[in-house]
Amino acid sequence: MNLPQSELASQLITLLAAGMLVIQLLMVVQGMLLTNIRLFALQSLMLAAIAAIIAFFHNATHVYVVAGLTLIGKVFFLPWLLNRQVRRIQIEQEIAPLLNSSASMLLCGGFTLLGYIVARPFTSLERLGNNTLGVAITLLLTGFFLMFNRRKAISQVLALLTVENGVMLAAVALTTYGMPLVVELGIFFDVMVAVMVLGLLVYRIRETFASMDVSKLSQLKG
Amino acid sequence: MMLLVPILVAPAVAALGCLPARSPRVMAFVNVLAFGTTLALGVELLRQLQAPPHVVTEWEEFFRADALSVWMVLLISVVSLGSSLYAGRYFERDLAAGVVTPGRVKEFFVLTPLFAAGMFLVVLANNLGVMWFALEATALSSVLLVALYNRNTSLEAAWKYVILGSLGLALALFGTVFTYAAAIDQKSTALPSFNWSHLMSMAGQLDPRMIKLAFVFVLVGYGTKAGLAPMHTWLPDAHSEAPSPTSAMLSGVSLKVALYALLRFHILTTACLGSGFSRTLLLVFGLGSMCLAAPFILVQTNLKRLLAYSSLEHIGLICVGFGLNSPVTIWGSLLHMGYHALTKPVLFFAAGNIHQTCHTLQMRLIGPGMVKMLPATVVCMGLAAVAATGLPPFGLFFSELTILNGGFAAGHSVVSTIVLLALLGAFCGILYQLTRILLGVPKVARTSDAAPWDGVPAMGLMLGALVVFSVWLPAPLRFVLQRAAGIIGGEAVP
Repeated sequence: MNLPQSELASQLITLLAAGMLVIQLLMVVQGMLLTNIRLFALQSLMLAAIAAIIAFFHNATHVYVVAGLTLIGKVFFLPWLLNRQVRRIQIEQEIAPLLNSSASMLLCGGFTLLGYIVARPFTSLERLGNNTLGVAITLLLTGFFLMFNRRKAISQVLALLTVENGVMLAAVALTTYGMPLVVELGIFFDVMVAVMVLGLLVYRIRETFASMDVSKLSQLKG
Repeated sequence: MMLLVPILVAPAVAALGCLPARSPRVMAFVNVLAFGTTLALGVELLRQLQAPPHVVTEWEEFFRADALSVWMVLLISVVSLGSSLYAGRYFERDLAAGVVTPGRVKEFFVLTPLFAAGMFLVVLANNLGVMWFALEATALSSVLLVALYNRNTSLEAAWKYVILGSLGLALALFGTVFTYAAAIDQKSTALPSFNWSHLMSMAGQLDPRMIKLAFVFVLVGYGTKAGLAPMHTWLPDAHSEAPSPTSAMLSGVSLKVALYALLRFHILTTACLGSGFSRTLLLVFGLGSMCLAAPFILVQTNLKRLLAYSSLEHIGLICVGFGLNSPVTIWGSLLHMGYHALTKPVLFFAAGNIHQTCHTLQMRLIGPGMVKMLPATVVCMGLAAVAATGLPPFGLFFSELTILNGGFAAGHSVVSTIVLLALLGAFCGILYQLTRILLGVPKVARTSDAAPWDGVPAMGLMLGALVVFSVWLPAPLRFVLQRAAGIIGGEAVP
């Protein structure tokens, strides 16, 4: 591994990680569900690209597997599944989030700052890219915010998936090769099953409540 | 002979075996058979652990069982066995009443062994990443069990459970990644092993700041799954809306399995940083859970929610015991885990019977005088309630006293006093609420139950085990518990 090459890899990874963050912020202000699903697919594509770059520059074959799985699962399969669900239940827009988009944007700017501050002591431990850990923690925080801000069940599923993307980014940034393959595979299948289970529940909630609005789920108290 | 793999395979086979089956009775029998097998294997494992090196590993250390894992395997087996014994009749009655469809019943008998297999994998996996995805698998299988009745409220509970659970697990995954990152040697390019045994052996060289950050993430993450306050909000909903056998498993072992995962990180953090950091956090969250649970128990109106809050209080106490971190309190907490696992399912089974008879869980509507309607159930429930509130002669009295005693002896008198007050609150709450519905003269006219003995074998079995183990702890079990306490206390680093 010669220096300029690894420098190039590092720059590319930083760029892609920043792209993931930008997409996350777009999702925060975007209310259309179908657009949100596409944005998520794009974000996952960037994650897959990061994994592929690592695999290429470090000659790590097993990271190609991770990249491939991310591509198949998060870029094609899950968006397709969610798309189908949105079309089937014919609710295409997020109505009245708790916080409006400009306030959300401002808050998420704060989260980004916070993410970078939390990650700061650990930047020396990052093996790839600059501030990728900061991006990862920001994805986590904004993902949490998205989850609480949105009322449509599918938006909450998407928010959860962006948090998952953040974890994967952290794994890549801190450990170069990601985690052992068996763990990566396990996480991958868990995410797939989780989305299917969530989808099943969304469907049942829709059938029972004639709505996908989770703020209607408020009978259990105390 | 292989032991750990069969423990994982037996429930998985049972799940497959239930797929083509038609009658609930057959499916229940297959489940009972599977958990009987795992219990027998667990006992054999217990026997093998008596001899040095006191650790069993298989598949090139992919699976690893030390004293702590064996204790958990036994708890999971016993509670699952009790649940599947109870579930057969429970669902026959539900089917007869038209509350569930046969398809849903099959779902139960397929998912329950998978749920248990996930828990077995959590406690037997050596790899921290595998432990994480096994825990996620338990969450995913149990969420469909919570939603089994497909009522508005059960869907709400399931949604809350899966969303909070997944968020928690995402945080725990962050923590797991950080732990892995802490183990990477900055100078070499070799990938470290992600095995718990390996991490423990190099605990001194881990990056302390990273481990600290990791533990905070894992505490909030697995803490959510373990139901620690303030991340517990899913717990009363899920426990009260799930079918009673599932409530028993959730409360009896699932919470403790999540706590087990948290403990593994606690042990690692303690080995890396010294004892202060993680232990204090456990103490704070444990105390918080106990103090929060007590008032909710006092004002509760729903029977199963009452039991759920009682579980919250017990898990808090267990956490406090580990947080106090003296050998006596850790020993007390481990014992408390076991006794609670034997007691709480009985209460949930009895609540299930009452639910099926009265068609409500609102204690106001159930009304006094259940003893006239369901004498056998009420006797079991009364005994279990006496045990759960920590009265002698049951083991929970002994384990609670051990924790308190250890706390006072270690000089944590403030903590111990708070624990004592919280326990007192829960004690009054549970006995007051239950005596109001169990004893007295019935005010609501109900047709008497046609089969008053349903569920009594399962309840009797667990109560019997509780009584036996309260007065007599077999030497092998005592040995394993002492070793487990040593592992948690950081004495016997493997």
